[in-house]
Amino acid sequence: MSESGPGALAGLRVLDLTGHRAQLCARLLGDMGADVIKVEPPSGDDARRIGPFLDDLPHRDRSLFFWFYNLNKRSLTLDLKHSRGADILLQLARSADVVIESFAPGTMDQLGLGWDVLHRENPALVLCSIAPFGQTGPYRDYIADDTVLTALGGMLYVNGFPNHAPVRPLGLQAYHSSAYFGAIAVMLALLARDRTSEGQWIDLSMQEATAAAVEHVAGGYFERNEAEPRRGTLHWSRFFRVGKCRDGYIMHCTLGDWTSLIEWVKSDGKAADLDDPNYQQPMYRYLMAEHVFEVLDGWVKDYPRDELLERAQLLRQPYATVRPPEALFDDEQLIDRGFFVDVEHPELGRRFRYPGAPYLFNGTPWRVTRRPPLVGEHSGEILRDDLAMAPEAIAVLAAEGVI
Amino acid sequence: MCAMPLDGVRILDFTWVVAGPVATRILGDHGAQVVKVERKDPPPMGNRKLGLQCDLHRSKLSVALNMQHPRGVELARRLAAMSDIVMDNFSARVMRMWGMDYESLTAVKPDIICISMSGLGHTGPRSSYVSYGPTLQALTGYTQLMAEPDGTPAGYGYSYADMCGGYSGALAALVALWHRRRTGKGQFVDLSQFEAVASVIGPALLDISVNGRTQSPPGYNSQEGPAAPHGVYKCRALDGDNDNDRWVAISVGTGPEWRRFVTAIGSPEWASDAKFRTLYLRMQNSAELDANVSRWTIEHSAEDAMAVLQRAGIAAGVVENGVDLCARDPQLKERGFWPEVSTKKGVTTHVTGIPFKLSGGSGAVRTIAPEVGEDFDYVLGELLGLGKSERDELVADGAVWP
Repeated sequence: MSESGPGALAGLRVLDLTGHRAQLCARLLGDMGADVIKVEPPSGDDARRIGPFLDDLPHRDRSLFFWFYNLNKRSLTLDLKHSRGADILLQLARSADVVIESFAPGTMDQLGLGWDVLHRENPALVLCSIAPFGQTGPYRDYIADDTVLTALGGMLYVNGFPNHAPVRPLGLQAYHSSAYFGAIAVMLALLARDRTSEGQWIDLSMQEATAAAVEHVAGGYFERNEAEPRRGTLHWSRFFRVGKCRDGYIMHCTLGDWTSLIEWVKSDGKAADLDDPNYQQPMYRYLMAEHVFEVLDGWVKDYPRDELLERAQLLRQPYATVRPPEALFDDEQLIDRGFFVDVEHPELGRRFRYPGAPYLFNGTPWRVTRRPPLVGEHSGEILRDDLAMAPEAIAVLAAEGVI
Repeated sequence: MCAMPLDGVRILDFTWVVAGPVATRILGDHGAQVVKVERKDPPPMGNRKLGLQCDLHRSKLSVALNMQHPRGVELARRLAAMSDIVMDNFSARVMRMWGMDYESLTAVKPDIICISMSGLGHTGPRSSYVSYGPTLQALTGYTQLMAEPDGTPAGYGYSYADMCGGYSGALAALVALWHRRRTGKGQFVDLSQFEAVASVIGPALLDISVNGRTQSPPGYNSQEGPAAPHGVYKCRALDGDNDNDRWVAISVGTGPEWRRFVTAIGSPEWASDAKFRTLYLRMQNSAELDANVSRWTIEHSAEDAMAVLQRAGIAAGVVENGVDLCARDPQLKERGFWPEVSTKKGVTTHVTGIPFKLSGGSGAVRTIAPEVGEDFDYVLGELLGLGKSERDELVADGAVWP
């Protein structure tokens, strides 16, 4: 699909056993060149049943939810509940570097694939277990979806307006922060292995990953013994708030060069008392935030938002327009940096535009090497090439429903 | 203390505000020696020994170098020559102006890894845009689609974009380090915080590009398969407390879950109404369903509602505020998620922990955050090997602040 030099993680083999909650983790590694094998049950991964679907036609090979998280992976179907299936996984684990799983705690042990077994079979293997509450503690066996995790991780309470219900984050951010921490933990364990030759077991709690991804709440408590409230669109720092323009919303910011901002507002005749020298001090603007934004709201209300943005950024004011995500696909900056990648889906005779990775590595660029796999698309080749299985043996596994 | 994964790795850290410090903090927690270079009078952001600033700068050293002074820059270049990774979150021109950009540094350290975590990236027509987390959240869709039911934008109450930028920065550093250990080659990573937060919007992006669908605020509709009831429901205050801002999040999916849910809340009459018989009908009639569920939750504390539902195998959780999270949550407490750190004078506080444990016993919050320039003697004396008189002379010359 792309001309590929080896990625930074070329040569690493990752077995991805995760269900829909943790699939971004292995994708982050696959994007950097690791060989990721997505191990799914013969009926297909649970993510394949989650929409949206291509052209809104539900089918396990048309789930955009699955596509997003499974680019750059191969698929092996394997019934891990079947002893032959677990045995095959163990054989693959002997030559793998990393196994990532997100089963309920204890499941890997029940499958005969617990840490003790994996570590004995392959002492260099890193096992990353991603569970809603981790592998220990009173909530260990509790269940959660992303919304429940954002609640228990403190990410939900602080968004929205006082006296209204909290507003949920866009996207599955409890899952996404957990995936990033998972990939970071895997890389740390791999780097440690350079010295020790030993793999490690990573016990990642999604609740904790969510709590770690909230900027200000812990600080608010440990500094002032307070629960940070919901403040509407006023950022907790009190230097940002949403304002309404003639044709939509913008994000104000009072952390840019104050003098040039106020000269502009004054030249529009809308500065009120904001030219008072006291406002030069960020701390004064912090204290007076509600008033400052009220005056600035009055100033922007007749501006078209795109014009405001262009002029603000020319003056190096960190203003932004409040845009829908559709705008990203026309964003010249993202297009110019090659953030979007067109990925061929040959079986459909179509190509689709995917969002890419957030970094450009000048030595080992991020690459799309594979479109998301069809269910079990690579089962045969993996068993044949990696485990040297005979075609007859593979046929028997298929007939028995193991693959 | 046992060995940590990044023992022996040194990072020269020019980052500031939030995203960059989050990245280098993660590396510092796992053994890297992070030398934070800053100016003597950074904009006041709060007490380094407490709260957010301690969270951001713990497990690091601080030295105050005057980068407007040629000898300050020279010290920075000498530090870079003995570092593995140099990280910043400036726009492209700043490091270039100092001669601290990747090309310049390869002259003093051929296998250096440079990670620049700017707002919109070093290339492209808008690389000069100035941005903070909320700016990027507005540009990417979070502010608009995290909305009230009537469509009024609410957005995040904080800078989630900075966290995304920080995590991808830490990951990029580790990946580049892995690659260098195998090939001997360093590289330059041009990270865009804008792209970091845009990329984690998730599958909705493909719904736009593949299906051409305009996204509307999802509210509490499940984004991971159909579910109803699904959302947050108002609860009563805890006994002896008058805080009424109490909510429980509940997610009920398939038929068996619904039946367990109904039993758990005492099989109220409304639950047998035909309009709630199937998941499809429950979603169609979700407003009425939610009103009924709220009539149950308002009779319970969020903690009780969560316990009752979890016992029945239903995903439910308290919408935790800062006090719940940091002082009450039994799970976080049991797992030691808020470790204690102390100042040299023995004043203690708690900071945010590390959300994963390695069986080899590694990551830890190693030291409380340093004051600006606190590690002057160590960095100039031990790392750079400058004697007392040389250090005094550099201070007198204004190249460095003690």
